[in-house]
Amino acid sequence: MTRYLSHIIAGEHLVMSGERALFWEGQQTLIIADLHVGKTGHFRKEGIGVPAAIYKDDLHRLLSQILFFKAERLIIVGDLSHSIANRELDLFRKWRKDFSSLEVHLAKGNHDILDNRWYEEADIMVHNEPLPLFPFLFAHDTDQIDEIPVDHFLFSGHVHPSVTIRGRGKQALSMPCFYFSKTHCILPAFSKFTGSYQVRPTTDDEVFGIVGNEVVQLQKKTISS
Amino acid sequence: MKNSPGYNVIMNWLAGRGMHPFSFQEEAWKSILAGESGLVNAPTGFGKTYSVFLGALIDFINRHPDNYQTKSKNGLQLLWITPLRALAKDIGRAMEEVIVELGMSWKVGIRNGDTDINERARQKRQMPEVLIITPESLHLLLAQKGYPETLDSLRILAIDEWHELLGSKRGVQVELAISRIVGVKKRSQKNAGDPLRLWGISATIGNLEQAKEVLLSNIQREGVIVRANMHKKIEVESVIPDEIEKYPWAGHLGIKLVDKVIPIILENRTTLIFINTRGMSEMWYQSLLNAAPELAGAIALHHGSIDQELRQWVEENLHTGRLKAVVCTASLDLGVDFRPVETVIQVGSPKGVARFLQRAGRSGHQPDAVSKIYFLPTHSLELVEAAALKQAISEQLIESRDPMLLCFDVLVQYLCTLAISEGFTPDEVWEEIKRTYCFREITQDEWRQLLHYITEGGTALQQYDEYKKVEIIDGIFRITGRRVAMRHRLHIGTIVSDAMLKVKFLSGGFIGVIEEYFISRLEPGDTFTLAGRNLELVMIKDMTVLVRKSNAKKSAVPSWNGGRMPLSANLGKKLRETFNLAFEKKQLKAVELQALKPLFDRQEKHSHVPKANELLIEQIETKDGYHLFVYPFEGRLVHEAMAAILAYRISRIRPITFSFAMNDYGFELLSDQPIPVDDTNVYELFSPDNLFEDIQRSVNSTEMAKRKFRDIAVIGGLIFQGYPGEYKKARHLQSSASLLFKVFAEYEPDNLLMRQAYSEVFAQQMEEARLRDMLQRIQASEIVITWPEKLTPFCFPIKVDSMREDLSSEKLEDRVKKMQLLLEK
Repeated sequence: MTRYLSHIIAGEHLVMSGERALFWEGQQTLIIADLHVGKTGHFRKEGIGVPAAIYKDDLHRLLSQILFFKAERLIIVGDLSHSIANRELDLFRKWRKDFSSLEVHLAKGNHDILDNRWYEEADIMVHNEPLPLFPFLFAHDTDQIDEIPVDHFLFSGHVHPSVTIRGRGKQALSMPCFYFSKTHCILPAFSKFTGSYQVRPTTDDEVFGIVGNEVVQLQKKTISS
Repeated sequence: MKNSPGYNVIMNWLAGRGMHPFSFQEEAWKSILAGESGLVNAPTGFGKTYSVFLGALIDFINRHPDNYQTKSKNGLQLLWITPLRALAKDIGRAMEEVIVELGMSWKVGIRNGDTDINERARQKRQMPEVLIITPESLHLLLAQKGYPETLDSLRILAIDEWHELLGSKRGVQVELAISRIVGVKKRSQKNAGDPLRLWGISATIGNLEQAKEVLLSNIQREGVIVRANMHKKIEVESVIPDEIEKYPWAGHLGIKLVDKVIPIILENRTTLIFINTRGMSEMWYQSLLNAAPELAGAIALHHGSIDQELRQWVEENLHTGRLKAVVCTASLDLGVDFRPVETVIQVGSPKGVARFLQRAGRSGHQPDAVSKIYFLPTHSLELVEAAALKQAISEQLIESRDPMLLCFDVLVQYLCTLAISEGFTPDEVWEEIKRTYCFREITQDEWRQLLHYITEGGTALQQYDEYKKVEIIDGIFRITGRRVAMRHRLHIGTIVSDAMLKVKFLSGGFIGVIEEYFISRLEPGDTFTLAGRNLELVMIKDMTVLVRKSNAKKSAVPSWNGGRMPLSANLGKKLRETFNLAFEKKQLKAVELQALKPLFDRQEKHSHVPKANELLIEQIETKDGYHLFVYPFEGRLVHEAMAAILAYRISRIRPITFSFAMNDYGFELLSDQPIPVDDTNVYELFSPDNLFEDIQRSVNSTEMAKRKFRDIAVIGGLIFQGYPGEYKKARHLQSSASLLFKVFAEYEPDNLLMRQAYSEVFAQQMEEARLRDMLQRIQASEIVITWPEKLTPFCFPIKVDSMREDLSSEKLEDRVKKMQLLLEK
């Protein structure tokens, strides 16, 4: 078990991080899904006192991942923001300005409902259609794509995947995961203020679980079906 | 009193109906007239309502002897809190009858979730003299502007079925509402010098004195207990299966005994059949119909998930005696008496003596009639419980209801309620809540944290924070946001249910509600049972399950995750004592124990039947792994805690991972490696030393706290359940309790609501005091370890009826590795 684990897809080197991010070495690109910026603020504005520190921590983790990998580009496969604009998003924009050399792309997700101007001012390139960057394709939800082009591998989010492993004595343990099928990868939700959905891998799939801030490849036999 | 005009009016009226007051009623009237507060202890059906209500009338007539009949619009005189909506109507009807016959102009109003808007508005314009209200609606009243004026004229506050409310968060709600009412009246200039009288009405419980103290803590009075001292005769008979299964398992046997139930139904005018779970009640209803089709139309089903109109229909037909039998759950535990009921059948363990007596008491209402109750076991070992129950009843061993302490979630909700209507000042509320039993131990520090939490939302990122709930305006704490206020009103209450969906026919017609979890596993075209009907799922739309009738023979029976009651300490003790008699001579023991002889013989042959001064432990190896079964007979919650502690202590000997299972009799630890427990270390493993520390260290307390946190998060206003109209707009505010628990644990573990989750685990879930008692008992007893070659009759029901919990003392990461290694073999 380790904080980083590499994986090769279509000849490209990828590094999975226990901080729920994926780094594409060839393109110096950090890929994340479901950041849900402003979620705590949205709750708090409505009188629900969830800890504001989650949001700060999410941003710190993102910052440290960008610095660690020396990323030149950030691709967010949907749900950058959680809901309508609020002050937490202002802080995000301010933070974004400090990284003006970083290229930021957003493959638009169902939560990305901010005005176009907001993204323009934040210098974020928004893609309403799946974003191709050979040999990869980036989209929020697999449902947006009828058929993945044969020479492309898809990265998506939306699902907030988690996986349960079971052992003898009816032991069970559930954790967020990177989920790879032959044709696509679903990334874990980056924000820690997100629920999760249980995925049920088939034998052709590969699953990497996140325990604490470490990544671990899971044996097929241990994963429940 | 006897010379007062009011007393004479009431006595004449009673005499006119050929009635004479019970002495406890007169005693209660006297105390009420003397300005005293207290508790009336009387069983249902013995005029407990009159003991307080007629007292209020006498009081009024005495004050207005000349015009008591014509004097109207007197404002609220008597506030009557009742836990059940269904009770309100019947009580209101009974009160109105008296008022009409006395020619008085009093009005009786009902206020609960079913009260329509027009009626509420009328009540706001002119309060009736008597208002019958649920704890939730009472808080809603406090959320209404102008509530202090409403309370000006109030003289008596009655709390009906106090034993039902005490020990729950609804009881805390009542305590808080009383504290406010008392406070408001104290500050009001009107009617000064005429103190509010508080009267609780309670069935017999083990801690009546304390029940009174909790209630009267608010007015700092000693008060009196008025006892009815009426004992009903109760006859208990077990339904004994023809053949005793040597390997019993829960739920399996009961249905097989249907044929023994039918003659009971036929012999009696009306029979109530109490089943412990809603799911099983559906199965029983079907089985009865299958076994005796001629009963169709004469038997009915009644449980909490069935449409209210249907339930009311059942209740009315119970009154009129048109039903031969009703299969029901705790939904019919409370409420008015159904006179035609001649006999009661309890299926499965009633878990406690009080509950068993209460259910028995639902039969035989004619004066001097005997209450008849049959006990029908759901597995053969439960027959021991019948013998134990009989003994407990003869010794009058009735359980206590422990009041809940420091429920910060309820307090958070209450403070927001006050903030919606008139606002509050912390000093005032502090004074009031310090007088409640629940919050008398609250510290200044905790109070400051609470106020900080509702005004600032905990620790915030100052500059970017937009938290807004309670604001301080000129020193007064208020909620001004309309959306926040509306959401709060919709969520006042402490009963948290699972996500429920309504079930409706395509053609219209509401059938009941069902858990989202259950329905999500069904596909359109699948059939399931609800309210005794076979239904085919058509589709789910807008939080509603649309169905049509089905003729399918087989259908799924829904599960409702309702809280399962654990075996009470009293019953557990009696149970252990009962095993002493297992091998006594036939004539010396109860029929139940005689019937169980083959099971006891088998248990003794392979293992051992423990005496009251023994603790049995069985070590068994099967293909599933290594099992350790322990039988303290202390109820599933204590067993769950004990399993966690034991697992933790064993894992200090050697790293080892367990899964747990438990029932009311014992628990199981299951591991993939041999469990190092033997005569050399067993007393140490069951030591009461360092109990608290070990509970905290055992990983499982986190799991338990997570479950507790669910209710706390809903009550404390962190989770909003969807509601019509607003549902879509509020979608971005949805989160699950487990997610909230996770983020609070990581980012704000000191939050008061989180701390409450843990203290609830220790106090209620683990019943720390009971755990300690148990360990001390075990230290003084003999621990018998056996090594059976296969599963025994005692462990079999645990094995089958298992609810599994995970625990590992090893670090999470190591555990993942280990599980993998194991599976690679």
